Amino acid sequence: MINTKRHMFEVFFTKLKFNLKSEAKKTYLSYIWWLLEPALHVAVFYLVFSVFLNRGTNNFLLFLLCGNIPFLWFSKSVSNASNSIVAGRGLILQISIPKPFFPLLVVAQDSTKQLFVFGFFFMFLVAYGVEFTANWFYVLPVIAAQILLTIACALLAAAITPFIPDFKFLIATGMMMLMFGSGIFYSYKEVLLERHQEIFLMNPLANLVKNYREVLLENITPDWQALGMISLYSFLVIMLMSAWFKKTDATYARLVIQ
Amino acid sequence: MTTNNILMLKNVTLSYWTRLAFFRREKFTALDNISFNVVKGETLGIIGHNGCGKSTLLKVLAGIYKPDSGVITQNCQRISLLTLGVGFDQELSGRDNAIISAMLLGVTKKQAMDLLESIIEFSELEDFIHQPIKTYSSGMKARLGFAVAIRLDVDLLLIDEVLGVGDAPFRKKAEQTMLQKINSQQTVIFVSHNESQVKRLCQRTVWLEKGQVKMVGPTDDVFALYNQVLNNDNVSLKITPQTAKQSR
Repeated sequence: MINTKRHMFEVFFTKLKFNLKSEAKKTYLSYIWWLLEPALHVAVFYLVFSVFLNRGTNNFLLFLLCGNIPFLWFSKSVSNASNSIVAGRGLILQISIPKPFFPLLVVAQDSTKQLFVFGFFFMFLVAYGVEFTANWFYVLPVIAAQILLTIACALLAAAITPFIPDFKFLIATGMMMLMFGSGIFYSYKEVLLERHQEIFLMNPLANLVKNYREVLLENITPDWQALGMISLYSFLVIMLMSAWFKKTDATYARLVIQ
Repeated sequence: MTTNNILMLKNVTLSYWTRLAFFRREKFTALDNISFNVVKGETLGIIGHNGCGKSTLLKVLAGIYKPDSGVITQNCQRISLLTLGVGFDQELSGRDNAIISAMLLGVTKKQAMDLLESIIEFSELEDFIHQPIKTYSSGMKARLGFAVAIRLDVDLLLIDEVLGVGDAPFRKKAEQTMLQKINSQQTVIFVSHNESQVKRLCQRTVWLEKGQVKMVGPTDDVFALYNQVLNNDNVSLKITPQTAKQSR
């Protein structure tokens, strides 16, 4: 029984802390997995593209990290959030609780881990010889835009899956498409025809990846217009989903037992 | 309708859709035109066979389900279902689970921390409280769950057969605590199959059958007819004007 907004925040952050603790307790390497998991993903990509296929260019590892780390954050958050309301059925059937609590908790959990990943990633960049400049601070608005995009997609996926459980298979396929279509392991400027590049950048994740690379590796200020559009559309979707959940909140308790 | 009514239900109906196969669904009416009221300070029993809609009704009253039609008039702020182990996480210690569970049931973090000592003491878990609850027996989990849930401070408490918790001595202690709570001006709706318990605790009782209210009235009268039906399935049941009068 959540009484006030303040109580809601308190419950949210306590649950966040406990969930992170609980997740870490499930494995031998505990919190180390927060860094090890993305590192292993990048290692696999590096091995395949740079070593086996010999496609690596100069600084391919850094190029890959700038694409893969934000992508993994987005992909894991949205995939986990899509099942969060169904997974929270135990609690949903015991107390009256606003349903966005569950996808938002998943996003908060993955974002907390991501804070450490980014911290480690920035240190790695410096250790690798990339010069730390004031331009790096422009990564903050890029991260902020990605948080908004992730919340919007997480709420949308979490709202649909209890109605159509089959949707989770589409999300898995969608994430694979997104990985291939966001320029994680290739440079769109080299691969795509110039007339197709604008269409490619309409994919918000591809655009964010481009901005991460420009800010961190090329000392370029981010594309403010693109970040503004991503944030604005994400905000609109968040508002829309918020209204949707307000209207249909009680429906979910009956859906999760079907 | 008297102003003493803390809750009034009028023609409350709720149906489930069950997914059967590819694009096939089946409708099941769990609550069908339910009407009764709850008076402030009373303990109202709800009885009926398995699957008659008792638990669904409590979930509707707790705000977990929204009825398809009908009106629920609420003259109080806080209604809650007394459930054991709300939000329990197997990996976390009993202590952490007690904190988050109490918070999910409505208290602030500070209040939860203040209650912790008494929760641990009541649950009799002692040093086990620092162990993950995946190492607990089901009785130990129920004890912790009950110790947290009984701290609930609400206007209308909904209880769904939770008195059978833990071993015999703990069950006795739990029942005594529950009795104290019920006798302290707390308004309670109590769902149970246990006739002696309902007769001891409840002034009035609602009898549900196949999602419908079969009878509302003084507990002894309701059980008299209920047992008659149990003993003789052929007795035809009709709500007489007298029993209807008894329903408020």
